[in-house]
Parts: sequence; structure tokens; C-alpha cells
Amino acid sequence: MKKSLKKAARLLAAVLALCLTLTGCSRGLSIFSNYRRLEMVELVRTITVDGAEDGVNVAIYGTAGEKQEARMYQRTGPSIGVAMNELSLLPLGREAVLSHTEELLIGEDVARERLDEVLDYVERFSETRLDIGLLVVRDSAAWELVSGLAGEETPASDVLAGLSRSIDRVGQGYIFSCREIVTSLAQNGVALIQCVRGVQEEKLFENRGDLNLAPAGFAVARPDAIVDFLTEEETLGTMLLLGKYRSKNVDIPVDGAVLTLSVDSVKPEIKPVFSRDGALERVEIRLTLGANVVCMAGLTDLRQAETRHRAEDGLSQRFGDALTAAVKRGQAMGIDFLDLYGILSRREPLRMEDAVGKNWDTLFPGLPVEIAVESTLSRTYDIIDPPEISGREEGDPWEKLTGSLKDN
Amino acid sequence: MLRGKAKAPAPPETTSNAPVTVAALEAVFEGCYDFESRDVHIGGDIRRKARLCFIDGLVSGSDVAQQVIRPLTDPERFGAVTDTKAVISMLLGGSVYVYTAKSRETLGELAGDLLNGFCALLFDAERTAVTFEVKSPQRRSVEAPREEKVVKGAKDAFVETLKINTTLVRRKLRNTHLKIREFHLGRRADTSAALIYIDGFTNPSIVAEAERRLAGIKTEGALTSAVIEENIVDNPRSPFPQLISTERSDKFCMNLLEGRVGILVDGLPLGFLAPGTFSQFMKVPEDHAGHFLVASCLTLLRYFSVALTLLAPAFYVAVAMYHQEMIPTRLMQSMIEAKQQVPFPTAVEVIMMLLAFELLQEAGIRLPSPIGETVSIIGALIVGQSAVEASVVSPVVVVVIALAGIAGYTMPNQDMGSALRLCRFLLVAASIALGMFGVALGCAVLLYHLSSLESFGVPYMTPFAGGQGRHLSRALLRHSMTEKRDREPELKTEDGGEAKL
Repeated sequence: MKKSLKKAARLLAAVLALCLTLTGCSRGLSIFSNYRRLEMVELVRTITVDGAEDGVNVAIYGTAGEKQEARMYQRTGPSIGVAMNELSLLPLGREAVLSHTEELLIGEDVARERLDEVLDYVERFSETRLDIGLLVVRDSAAWELVSGLAGEETPASDVLAGLSRSIDRVGQGYIFSCREIVTSLAQNGVALIQCVRGVQEEKLFENRGDLNLAPAGFAVARPDAIVDFLTEEETLGTMLLLGKYRSKNVDIPVDGAVLTLSVDSVKPEIKPVFSRDGALERVEIRLTLGANVVCMAGLTDLRQAETRHRAEDGLSQRFGDALTAAVKRGQAMGIDFLDLYGILSRREPLRMEDAVGKNWDTLFPGLPVEIAVESTLSRTYDIIDPPEISGREEGDPWEKLTGSLKDN
Repeated sequence: MLRGKAKAPAPPETTSNAPVTVAALEAVFEGCYDFESRDVHIGGDIRRKARLCFIDGLVSGSDVAQQVIRPLTDPERFGAVTDTKAVISMLLGGSVYVYTAKSRETLGELAGDLLNGFCALLFDAERTAVTFEVKSPQRRSVEAPREEKVVKGAKDAFVETLKINTTLVRRKLRNTHLKIREFHLGRRADTSAALIYIDGFTNPSIVAEAERRLAGIKTEGALTSAVIEENIVDNPRSPFPQLISTERSDKFCMNLLEGRVGILVDGLPLGFLAPGTFSQFMKVPEDHAGHFLVASCLTLLRYFSVALTLLAPAFYVAVAMYHQEMIPTRLMQSMIEAKQQVPFPTAVEVIMMLLAFELLQEAGIRLPSPIGETVSIIGALIVGQSAVEASVVSPVVVVVIALAGIAGYTMPNQDMGSALRLCRFLLVAASIALGMFGVALGCAVLLYHLSSLESFGVPYMTPFAGGQGRHLSRALLRHSMTEKRDREPELKTEDGGEAKL
């Protein structure tokens, strides 16, 4: 064969070999096994795991496009892996894609018995993201709750995503991601998980189902299972200390009126106090709150310092109680879910090591904890205390208003 | 004109040292129908003849008649002069009204003059010819640039005539150090070219290298720009342009002032500048006309456009086929929705659209301008929209390809735009095969190739690679004219690279 022909043949072979790699249209020859046809994908956004007689019941909620009907697929298997494997190939050859999953809801029974299996699956499976929010469903099966959220035209996953975001936003709770939970379990041996329950409510929107999602406090989890549930007040105290608290409106009664305050700034400061011989004497927790007056029902003179102080004290009392309840619950359980040891160790690493060593678990339940809460109220100006306007009538407007009200 | 059986005429031996005779000259130009020769009676005396030769069309007929024939046949001027040598002496001394007169004694020189718009008077007995420059004025006048639009700047673009182009440069750089060296390119076409640089400023090694490469060009004729570019660049196989080509004389002069050498070729309305570096292809003369902040933002936008035009289709293919987790959920839902009715896989869709885009562009360029624009509009609007409505392609693909195409149009240099288009196809192929890994691999290969390129000894990717990092801002931004600024250090200008204010 002539040299030029050989060269041409080699080139042709190289081009043909290259063409083999252009296998986007056929999975069989693809170099890269991750290939999926976009039009055959079922986008899963919510997964629920509930207990079943012979293992677990896994349900996935997916859509095959924006305008397509949302579908729920359910399988039961001896383990989550097996059930998910059966769900991977859906009817009509559709393929479930888990990479867009936003929430994973588990029933209380699964949380108590198979939490480690759930977290392990999320961690190991290459497709699931670690920032999936994990929720424990109380008082009902997880799939029932999710299905009950869906409206006629709105997929359950959409409603769930909106509702779970609102839990964070209005300061009713905090949805920890699988990553946060696993990290906390690995570092502290304990983690918190947001609980929810379905409540029957009058439909707020037409596109909603019969159920609404209500936060139900935090669950305290050990690596293998849920240990206990916190009350609403304990949950609030926990969120305040962990820095997960979002702005929430709180009603504080002052002098016969009710002030609605928006707590916008929460700064916890936790420090250890050591005795002269270096032993850990107590823990001081100082919480600094900054709140704005949102509105006022009834009449009280916020221009008076005493009135403001009473309002600030009321707020401090409210949040101090929540904080105390959370600390006491942790001490009673003997579980440091507030991660006080971690916070104190980061602040005073050497002295904490000398004073506590590996005895934190025995020290913690009986450790004195002093809690102090300081609140500052702002936006206390009054609608009847207008700025200087030329030509206005002389006299105290407050006195005039209250006087006229009394007269009436 | 040749009649009968077509036979390729032998090219004139313009380098011949043969003595000048009428017969020899006519033999050289045998078969050239535009070659004209006639006898002229010196001083009106029919006994004394000279042979007037010229190439019809290259010379101005009226100039020949008025400035050469008329004074030559004037009995009062030449009637008393009987000695031919004296006639030649008078002709060279200014007895005819032509400012350039040369005495030629070899056939090569004579033919060269004739081909360059001279007419010649041949004196057989003396074996001598006197040539006069009487070039035809039929040439395109200087106009505004057509390809490189000007908003705030000089509107005198290069034309096809070398002399006019050198004049445009000389008018902008009135400096005795501006040197214009003449070269002749093409074994058969003998095209004039000029190497232009600023003596005592431009790096002498770049000048010497340019001279060497120009002298080394072996071609039949330098009639297209590719002849120059491919013969003198360091790596002619690379699709990336390594010579800056421009039709704008202001851009040409600005680069001469930066320390580059310029090349002008007769017959090409373009100027070439060397060395050409990647960052130079991202700049337009308008950058120096507008405010420096705006110019800097636009330069950064052009770099962003490079990334967009190169990577957008490949990135789309990779995420749509292999890495769906990278797509935001809402977008993914609408993409799935749009893809439901499309019968082709993503890879086919994208390649099909890229090809359609190239077809439309090619059709738009080749057709006359009004029709070309119509084709583009029909293609972009009607075909694109119809294709989406007919579910042949999904709308996202149209958006991605259109974005990549529009980003490509922001390239100031057409050659750079074409190179990027070619690389776009290769990156799409790599992403079809290997997804995001293929894109990364393709980018690595591309960067390796670009980093290994050199133009006249200057790294192509300077100052990003192979240059001095501290000059990075010079490539990405346009500094204020009031600031002290450095030239490209890689050009090694003889003033040390510091621009004096």
C-alpha cells in the first residue's frame, strides 16, 4: 500500500474511533455511563420513608416536566436500598433522578429504628445531595402527610417545599440538612432533627390539599435512632443558643397593653467560669436581644424609660425561660444537644481540657448554668409624638390624646 | 489576444539581464493583448524614431499623450537634436513633463517598470530605454472601513493601492524614523509589499525576523491575505490568527507606536501587524476613543464572550446529557417539558443547530448584502421559531446556540471568531463523549495549544502565560491616558517599554 494511502487509512480509523465516542444517542456505546435522555427523566423532589411490616415503605414524588402531572411511586422492601432500586425504573421506561430532591421525610417509627440506614443511604448514594432537608413526621405516616398536602393542580413537593421554607422563615423551627445532621452526629454524637405534623386546617389556598404542615419541635437523635422530642419552648431555647433563630413576632404584655415585638438580633455568649484550683465552676450564658416594636394594642407610653424597661424585661423573661428550659432538658437527658462542650472548648481549649478532660458526660447534668438575658427595644417612637412642626398647638400631645380618650 | 488553441503564455522573465531591444521586449510580452507599442517621431522627424511601449490600462493614456508624446514630437524642442544619446539625456533631464524618469538597459528592469505603470521609450540603437511613471489614476478612493466599524475615530481605511496605503500611514506618523522597506512577493505576480516600522524604537530582532520571513515567501503571487499570513506566521496549522490584520489605518499606526512591525501588500486593502498576541485580538481602536472605564468594561465583556461562545453549547450538552444535577430544578423541569416532544437526542439537536447556524451565516456572507440580511432574518426568526414549534429542536437549544453565536460576533477580529467557532465544535464533540470531563479536557488541550503558540518570538498568550503577570491589567483593562503606562514588555522596544507622557 502506498504511504499516502496508509496515512489516509490511519486517519480514517482514528476518525471512526472518535465517532464511537460520540454516543450521546446510544447508551450502549457511551464511554460515560451517566448518560440520561432528558425527556425520559422523572425529577424526584421529595422522598418519604415509613416503616412497613416487612421493612420500609419508600415513596418518591416526581414530575416529568413543568406542566406534567405530579406522580407518586411507592415500593416496599426489606431495606431502603432495595426499595429505591425498584423505584429507579419507573413505568414507560422513565428514570427517577434523585439529584433534585429537596426534602426527605421519615416516619417516627423509621426515625426511632432506622435513622442510621436513612442517613447512610443519603451519604453513600452518589446522586442524592447532602443538603437535603431531613424531617421527622409525627403522628402519621410520612407519605400520608405529603400526599395530603397536594392540591388538585399543585404537586405535593411544591407545597412541601413552600411550607418547609416558611418554617425557617417565620422562626418556628429550623430544618437541618442531612449534612448538618451527619456532621453533628460524627462530632458530638448527637444531632437535632426538625419534626413536623400534619394538621387539618381550613384551606388557605385553593391549590392546597386538606392538610397543612405544622412544626412540632426538634427531635434529639443519637447516631442510630431518635431519643426524644423537645417541647416548643425547649426548641425555641435551643434555636436561640445554636444561632438558628430567625425573626419572629412575639407578644409582650406591658401595663395593660400588648406590644408585638420583632426579635431581629440574637447574640448568645457562652463562657466557662473556673475556680481558683482550675475546676469548672459554672457556665454563664448571656443572651443579648435586639427587638423592634411592630405594633401596639392598647395604650402605653413608650417614651417613658420605665415603660420601655418593663417591656424589655418581659421579653428577656420570655426568652430566658425558653433558654433555661432547653438547658435543663439537656441536663435532665444527660445529652449535650446544645453542644455546650464544643462552644466552651473552642473558647478556652486548654483550661477546659484540664478541668473537664473526658468527664463532660458526668459533669454536664449537674453543672450550674447561669442564664442572663438582656434586651434592647428600638423603634419606640410614638405615632402621637410627631416631629417638630411649626404652628402646632402647644401642650403635650400624649396628655391631650389620653385626656380626650378618657373624656370619650 | 491569443487565438486558436489555448496555450498558457510563458511568464515574462522580469529578472532577465538581456539587453533592451524592441524585438526582445515584444517577445517578452507576446500574447499580452494589453501590451501596446508604437513608433514616435522624435521632434516630428520621420527619419528618427523611438518605440513607445506601455501596458494599456496600467498607464493613463492622456498623460502619455500630453506629458510624453507631445513634448517628444515637438520640433522646437527635439527637432535640432540629432544624436540619440543627447535625446536620452534630455529626456532624463526633464524635457518631458513627467516627474519620474529612469534609464533602463536590461530587459528585466524595463519589463518591471512597464508592469508598474510606466511607459517606455526604446532606442534600439543605443540598447537603452527611458521609462516614465504615468500610472493610471483608476483606483479606489479612500473610504470608511467596511468591516471594522468606526464610531469615534478616523474613517480612512486602506485601499488596494500600496502607495495610497503608505501615504495614509505616513500622514499619521510624520516621522523620519518611520521606515518603509519594499519587498516583491510572488514569483509570477511580482506583488509589491512594504515592511513598515519605526527605526530606533521597534525591536530590531522583530524587524529582522519579519524581513527574513517576507524574503522567504515562496509563492506564485501574493493575491490573498492567507499567502502572507500562512507564509510568515510561526504556526500556520493553528486556526488562531497570529498576525493582526486591519483595514483601519489608525489601528495600524497605533500598533506601530506600540512597537510592532506592519506589512502592507499591493492589491490588499489590509494591513498586517506582527507580533499578534491573544490580548491584542480582544481590543478595538474604539477602546482608545471612549472613556477608559467603559472601554475596560467592554474589554472584559469580550473576554466573557470568548468563554460564552466557546463553552455555552458544550456546557449545555454536558449538563443536559450527563450532569442533570447541575441544572436548577425549575429550569430542569421546563427543559424536560420542552424536550418531551423533540424526537432527537440532545447531542443531535445541538450539532444540528450549530450546523444550521453556520449555514445561515455562510449564506448571509456569500449573498449580496440585501438578500444576505433577508436570509439571516428568515433563518433566525422564521426557521428558528418554526423549528421550535414543530418540535424539531427544543427552545433551550435555540437560546444556547443563539447566545453562543451572538457572543462570537463580539470578537473584534473575524479570524479569531472563526477559530473560536471551530473550537466550539470540537468542545461539543468532547462533551458529547465525556460530559463535563470532556469539556475540561478540551479546554486543557486548547489552553495548552494557545500557550505553546508564539508570534515572532513573543508568547501568544502573553501576559496571561509566558509573559509578566504584573501586566495582566494592561491586557484586561484600558488605563487612563493620563496615567503613566507601560508598553507590552515582550515587544522589547528600544525605549525600554515605558511610554513617555
